[in-house]
Amino acid sequence: MWPFSGEGPALWLALYLLTFALHAVFVSYVLAGTAYAFVQSLRRADDAIAERVRDRLPFMLGCGITAGVAPLLFLQLLYQKRFYTANLLMGPRWGAVVPALIIGFYALYLAKAKVSLRVRRLALATGTLCFLFVAWSWTEIDQLMQADAVWRDMYAAGKRIYGASAIYPRLLLWLGAMLSLFAIVASWWASGPERRKLAVLGLIGRAVSVGAALLLVAAGGATDGNAHGWLYLLVAALAVEAAGWVWMIRAPDGPGLTLVTGAGAAALVCATVVREAPRLALIEPARPEALEAAGFPVFAATFVLGVAVIAWIWRAISDAKT
Amino acid sequence: MDPSPIPYYPVNEFGPLMKGLVIGGVGILHVFLAQFAIGGGMLLYYFERLAQAGVPDTRKFVDGYFKVLVLVSFVVGALTGVAMWFTTIQVGARTIGIMLDEFHWLWATEWVWFAIEIVAGYAFYRFGPQLDDKTRRRLLLIYAGASWMSLFWINGILAWQLTPGGWLDGGGMWAGFFNPSFWPSLLFRTAVAATLGALVACVVINTMDLERAAKAALIRRASRFAAPMALMPVFAAWFMAVIPADSRQWLMGGSMPMTMFVGVAAAASTLIGGYVVVGLIVKKLYINGATATMLLALAFGATAAGEFVREGARKPYTVRGVLYSTSMTPDEVTQLRKDGAVTKDPYPLRDEARYPTAQLRHGAKVHRALCDACHTVHGANALVELTRTWTDDQMRLNVSKLQRTKGFMPPFAGNAADVEALVQFLRWETAGAPASWPISDTPETLAQIATWLDEVGTAPMGDAR
Ligand code: HEC
Ligand code: HEM
Repeated sequence: MWPFSGEGPALWLALYLLTFALHAVFVSYVLAGTAYAFVQSLRRADDAIAERVRDRLPFMLGCGITAGVAPLLFLQLLYQKRFYTANLLMGPRWGAVVPALIIGFYALYLAKAKVSLRVRRLALATGTLCFLFVAWSWTEIDQLMQADAVWRDMYAAGKRIYGASAIYPRLLLWLGAMLSLFAIVASWWASGPERRKLAVLGLIGRAVSVGAALLLVAAGGATDGNAHGWLYLLVAALAVEAAGWVWMIRAPDGPGLTLVTGAGAAALVCATVVREAPRLALIEPARPEALEAAGFPVFAATFVLGVAVIAWIWRAISDAKT
Repeated sequence: MDPSPIPYYPVNEFGPLMKGLVIGGVGILHVFLAQFAIGGGMLLYYFERLAQAGVPDTRKFVDGYFKVLVLVSFVVGALTGVAMWFTTIQVGARTIGIMLDEFHWLWATEWVWFAIEIVAGYAFYRFGPQLDDKTRRRLLLIYAGASWMSLFWINGILAWQLTPGGWLDGGGMWAGFFNPSFWPSLLFRTAVAATLGALVACVVINTMDLERAAKAALIRRASRFAAPMALMPVFAAWFMAVIPADSRQWLMGGSMPMTMFVGVAAAASTLIGGYVVVGLIVKKLYINGATATMLLALAFGATAAGEFVREGARKPYTVRGVLYSTSMTPDEVTQLRKDGAVTKDPYPLRDEARYPTAQLRHGAKVHRALCDACHTVHGANALVELTRTWTDDQMRLNVSKLQRTKGFMPPFAGNAADVEALVQFLRWETAGAPASWPISDTPETLAQIATWLDEVGTAPMGDAR
């Protein structure tokens, strides 16, 4: 089934798409959550949502980083030469992603500690900027790795920023999506009026993304028609999600959130496929060594074990909390 | 069309900081943190058991020290791991690509262990005080076990680079993973991890608000964890015995810098081991914060030297027998002798305008392709300095017969015109990059170089294993 019909093994692509979607959930919570807590600290309106968010941010970042490593692995099997080339072209500017994350991480710990409002604002502002930088860098590398035509000149000129016109609308599209994903996750730890507020944020996020998508098309951003129908599925999922948000505004503690979560998850999966569509033609023919690599059974068994262990830990701490 | 075209990547030059130093720097920090996280996890499990058996102050230690541990290993360990990956791409994209192609399922396996480690560690950090004894014990066991499993998997992949062993004879991935240096490296690193855990614990215990006698009691227990240090010479000797003969020779005197690193690592380890075993365990001495910190600094030095040894011992390969440090395979070297070193390199120079002649530009490109992985022109391991006193012909000869000039350099992967262009480029740089420079391409010179290239052939000095 398309998109799993191209050159590389479908398994790599499937694992790439799944783990990338997981990564997106965590980093959305981190970036949008940090920004949310920052805005609330500016307004001196330190609501319960912001407090909970601050408390969970460092862990969520840890998860986001860990979840990012998996798509990083599979990306290098699918688009090895492209990814490495873009990496080298961006050079030290790409390397700056890591210090930015370390600074952002400590800023999150600071924001969560018992500090003055001034310090907290500063910490949250720093965190927001660091994570924005990281998101922008990933968008750049994603686009640059597809742009063979500019590699040579960019290298010769020693330029470190690709900065094609499609980058900024694309980033904006992501920021909107991140706000919505954040709203979905945060709603599970909220109730009543808090959920209403998050529902409004969720809708705003989607509106931003739709606007950005139009800008992206206008800027000539890569699209691949309807991605074999996945685009229609995405639109349908978003429509259901929007209905869910409205329901949640009306009845915050009703089944609206379940609907939003289901539709949002479907939309995320569809969106990762639509996002991948223009790049599929660039998947490198699988190298024989990679195709023949052993060890999959070990991975599969460890994966099952890992899921079981993490589920056990989850239960153990849930028991402790209650 | 070529059967398997060489993947050309845009090369970044790291100024006077040689690439080895770049990767060495990030690697040392990462290895130090990651190994400490493993040893710290094991130590915590041990102390938790003591606490549950009623040994005084141990619970206080577990709940205090752990925060540091999680904070450090959690983020900086993970992030420097990602940084390692990115740096490796910067330094040798093709190497990491080959490793990934071969071992990606094992890497994915390691990733699962890492995820378990993160979740267990965070759960204990966050909810530890609310959990019952049994759950606490289990969580710590999971944390320590998972972090050691990450080491287990990554260790095999890294050891494979130096001693691919039966994999070279078509033994497959598992033969490559359980390669000759797998066990000595794993045991060695485990001993280092335990020692680092013990030393950090000694520092932390000194900062705790306790009576001196109580601190001494804790320190005595923690220092037991450093006892495996006593076995390190055995593991080190085992490691030395299984690595390729040429690598062993330059670690043991063949290359001064490498020999010095080995010496530093051995001396620092002996000092730490001697202090811990004789002072703390046998004589039951007290160790204060300053001494503990100093021992930790020594351990950092030993780790640093050890990483340089590990990086350096692989030369001229990044994957023994498969890929040279220049990101070329032995077959490709033979091919490039005919085709020329840079004929197909699609990337221009970043500073084309600097060079007065096409030959110098050519030479600069040859340097970028064949020497830049290990040398700089003026900075660390500077070619201008290494060749300053040589005559032109001496340089032509030594570059043509590169693998015989020093066994840890790969055979020259180009033709006679490439050698001459490189020689002219280095001479021009030595002369201070003047505005004009004569072309040197007389048939006699090129013929002489071609003879030298043919004489020396394209076989490397050491055997593949
Ligand atoms: C695999 C890494 C590596 C590569 C690639 C490499 N070298 Fe070296 N080279 C070394 C090391 C290590 C030394 C030893 C430096 C020392 O002893 O201080 C060395 C030493 C030298 C020396 C001094 C030899 C002597 O006997 O004093 C010269 C000249 C030299 N290299 C030239 C080159 C040239 C030219 C190239 C590119 C065509 C090159 N090297 C490629 C690692 C490398
Ligand atoms: C807070 C930190 C982070 C943020 C905000 C973030 C954000 C993003 C965004 C917005 C994208 C999509 C880019 C696009 O499609 O234009 C992305 C992709 C990706 N990220 Fe992250 N990221 C973060 C950290 C990380 C880390 C630490 C890793 C790796 C360990 C990682 C691995 C990836 C990978 C592999 C992709 C896919 C790139 C591609 O397919 O081209 N991310 N990230």
